[in-house]
Amino acid sequence: MNRFLTFSFFLLFFFVSCGTYRYPNASGIRESAPKELNNYYLDTAQTFVYRAKLNAFKKDINGSLMVKILGRNEHRIALVSDFGQTLFDVSISPNEHELHYAMHDLNKRMVVREIVHIFRTMTAQRYATSAVMFANQQHYYPVYVVDNNYYVVKERKVERIQQAKGAKEYLTIVYQEWNAEDIPTSIVIEHKKYPITIDLTLDVNQSTL
Amino acid sequence: MRNKLLYFLVFLLPYGGWAQTREMTASEQASFQKSLQQLVEIKTISADFVQYKHLSFMKKPVESSGKLYLEHPDKLSWAYTAPFQYKMVFKDHKIFIDDQGKKQTIDIGNSRQFEKISTLVSSSMHGGKYDEKEFAVSYLKQGNADMVRLTPKLVGAKKYIKEIVLLFSPTDKHIEEVKLVEPSNDYTRFVIKNRKVNTTINESIFNL
Repeated sequence: MNRFLTFSFFLLFFFVSCGTYRYPNASGIRESAPKELNNYYLDTAQTFVYRAKLNAFKKDINGSLMVKILGRNEHRIALVSDFGQTLFDVSISPNEHELHYAMHDLNKRMVVREIVHIFRTMTAQRYATSAVMFANQQHYYPVYVVDNNYYVVKERKVERIQQAKGAKEYLTIVYQEWNAEDIPTSIVIEHKKYPITIDLTLDVNQSTL
Repeated sequence: MRNKLLYFLVFLLPYGGWAQTREMTASEQASFQKSLQQLVEIKTISADFVQYKHLSFMKKPVESSGKLYLEHPDKLSWAYTAPFQYKMVFKDHKIFIDDQGKKQTIDIGNSRQFEKISTLVSSSMHGGKYDEKEFAVSYLKQGNADMVRLTPKLVGAKKYIKEIVLLFSPTDKHIEEVKLVEPSNDYTRFVIKNRKVNTTINESIFNL
């Protein structure tokens, strides 16, 4: 009996954890013409300084987020508190990262991995060859799919990235506003697994655009 | 030959700046210590500050500015006014924060490093002595200005700060600049301007 219960539990766990995410109201996935997505952070002449308001595990941190473009899909990203303390400084490329500095309390493998994951998703340019199908297409903006990321495109700009892990949503990045050059001026990041939200507002005067 | 001389001078020129900083002689140190005693008379300071955050990969520093108010012995108001509004008040062993109307209070027990820095700056402005148990203290001259370099001795502090440099005005011996250097060598420079000493500070400045 005990062996049966243990086996049932593992079977249940296996099916629950291996479920696949289904985009809301999607009827399936179709092939699409190749599409470049998230073209915001490509110009190596640009450095972005965002006013950052971060709430992580019920703690508020305010500061500045710097995004410097080093090359195609290579970014150096640093978060500095209002008082000037560097919280982290990391170079991120598609398959690896180099941690230049992390404040002692944040210098933990899991924290760094999650920071890299969030900002890689925010800054990386991706190519999609498939898109979500909706039963009633007229009601929805195109949603492209790359790996487990869903890119919602409105007026030819990525408006939102929804990332799934297993059957659940894991991370949402919403580009809320843009300037005349289509540079995101307001971004909201919400982590769905951990209680982390990040609000970013572009500081035009301190950025090199 | 002329070209070689030119290259030599061009490469040597940046090091010339560093050469301006040197150790104080014993008599200079004694006179500096004496000059600090006048600061003991200070009861209040109000000033503007500009904060420059230097990161090795950024061409220009990230700049913010604001106002500071200090009332001896233990009240400090540190308010950013540009490019954002954010105010911190240190009193009664607590940090009171007003983030554009969103208020919170932090027990200083949770922010020991911050307390140490604020205490150090407050104490230095008031002519206080440096805690030689916590810091290795170097007395330096940069041009005509006096400079104190504090290097943390304790392992806990070393994790956050490599050194703190205080630059004093050559004319009135008040602190003009505070530089906090992180273990990565990135640093934050606070430049203090428009200083007013011993003027009455409205109590409401320290109430949030």
